[in-house]
Amino acid sequence: MVMLNEPNPSQNKFWSLLSKKLSSEATSEELEELQSILLSTPDLHSQADILTEMWQQQGVINKSITSEGAYMRHIMKHKDEFFVEEDSIETNSDDIVSEASPGFFRSLFSTKRLFILSFLAFIILTTGAIYLLTQKNDAKLPTEKGISSIVTKNGNRTKVVLPDGSQVWLNAGSNLDYDNSTFNNELREVSLNGEAYFDVTKDPEKPFIIHTKKMDIKVLGTVFNVRSYSDEKIAEAALIKGSIEVTLTDRKDQKIILKPNEKISISNEEPKSEKKPEKISSVKAVAVRIPQFEVNDLKPNPTYNIIGEIAWTQNKLFFEDEIFEDIVLRMERWFGKKVTIANESLKNVHYTGNYENETLEEVLLSLKLSKSFNFRIGNDNVVIY
Amino acid sequence: MKRTEDLISLGERIAKDDQLAYRQLFILFYNKLSRFVMGFTKSKELTEEIVSDVFINIWRRRKNMEEIKNLKLYLYVSAKNTTFNYLKKLHRENLTDLDSVEIEPEDPFADPGAAMITREMNLKLKAAINELPPRCKLIFTLIKEDGMTYKQTATLLNISESTVENQLSIALKKISSAIRYTFRHN
Repeated sequence: MVMLNEPNPSQNKFWSLLSKKLSSEATSEELEELQSILLSTPDLHSQADILTEMWQQQGVINKSITSEGAYMRHIMKHKDEFFVEEDSIETNSDDIVSEASPGFFRSLFSTKRLFILSFLAFIILTTGAIYLLTQKNDAKLPTEKGISSIVTKNGNRTKVVLPDGSQVWLNAGSNLDYDNSTFNNELREVSLNGEAYFDVTKDPEKPFIIHTKKMDIKVLGTVFNVRSYSDEKIAEAALIKGSIEVTLTDRKDQKIILKPNEKISISNEEPKSEKKPEKISSVKAVAVRIPQFEVNDLKPNPTYNIIGEIAWTQNKLFFEDEIFEDIVLRMERWFGKKVTIANESLKNVHYTGNYENETLEEVLLSLKLSKSFNFRIGNDNVVIY
Repeated sequence: MKRTEDLISLGERIAKDDQLAYRQLFILFYNKLSRFVMGFTKSKELTEEIVSDVFINIWRRRKNMEEIKNLKLYLYVSAKNTTFNYLKKLHRENLTDLDSVEIEPEDPFADPGAAMITREMNLKLKAAINELPPRCKLIFTLIKEDGMTYKQTATLLNISESTVENQLSIALKKISSAIRYTFRHN
């Protein structure tokens, strides 16, 4: 240490050369020069080795969830520029460039297509005052009492920021309710029917509770996905980070704690499920009305490298080895069209697929390739036969 | 760090309205740009807003992507300018001084394959990086973690290349002295 602080021209040269080598700025002459200094000064050798090793270690960038979440928020913030039909982009690029600040009123006066207006109108109507909360520097906070409802129709997804700063992405065909007058007093309680991805602001003093048909989920501050559509067979909660405590509505005494990258699945049907293991049905014979649940690990799909449970938050329609009957329900919500399978034998066919910008027709055409069927697309319905 | 050719092809795809490429670019740079911006703003919310502005501007000008010679440097310069504009609006222009920047270093985590660096040494390294003077830490981070060249760093920060070189040398020297201490006393 003492030696390092002494003015020593050759040592200064050493640090400068090592810096250049590590940052790939060194010329071949400089590399040779560094080598000769190292040979004549063995004391510097181990330091150079360690610094080289340190340099090669990448800093931990295990924040993919954060940047994915940030991307989602980014897209939602500027949704009028991303949910545009492709052919209308060119005609509008000029007036978009000149605008610096984001905001939705601008869109009302731009020349964009009617469907964007209706999308925005939808947002304004359904999320109303809550949407204003997502606009920074906006002093007009809603103060009215009563129940706030955020509703998404099929074919639409949205994001809201709750009064406590927690963020919720609401998938199609879902609704989220909370009581304005009591939310954030002692508890933060919401009810969900459908699917939502939560990024809950940390506040150990005020637990955040999500009520669904089959389970209540209690969290302190965490990121997770909840899926509880009343027309689906299974309700799920998938935990991305933090921890959550699940209480089944039919068995309040039992609490299940989930760890990151685990999910809990619960049968959404009244207790007479067809395809569940025998041990449970034998238990059922004794104790009445026990909802069946299981806890599994979340695994990214090896082919697409995405976690199926949260693919929708990345604007992906993803299904993994699911039966057609279930997939059709998801497509209905995703595209906002009624989809019916008229041919019974098709209902149990399994498909895996990952779609991002495809139309409903393109998705069906691609599914057809692995197991053939016919379909007819009408104005607001699709029949598969 | 992504190679230059990959970035060029990402840029070309974005110019063709490819949202998937746009997303890749976002994911690739979001954390790094955030760390850079955060050093000036010290506010998570403001940082997210600024980085979002930087990226939306890329999307808005995607038809003119070919005018951007170096996408990576462009992102950082744009992040810096946007940050300074925001801070000016908030009357905090004094915070744009390079000597008041506070860069949060990433954990230099112990690579199981690392031959020489133990967990304890890693903690020392992290502490040493953390204690670097603000400007020095910023330059060290930009070059090591963000993969910037001396020239890019100099352009971004409006300083000379020789200042960049000096500051990086000083950083390595200081970090190394923390490790030497470990050697002597273990």
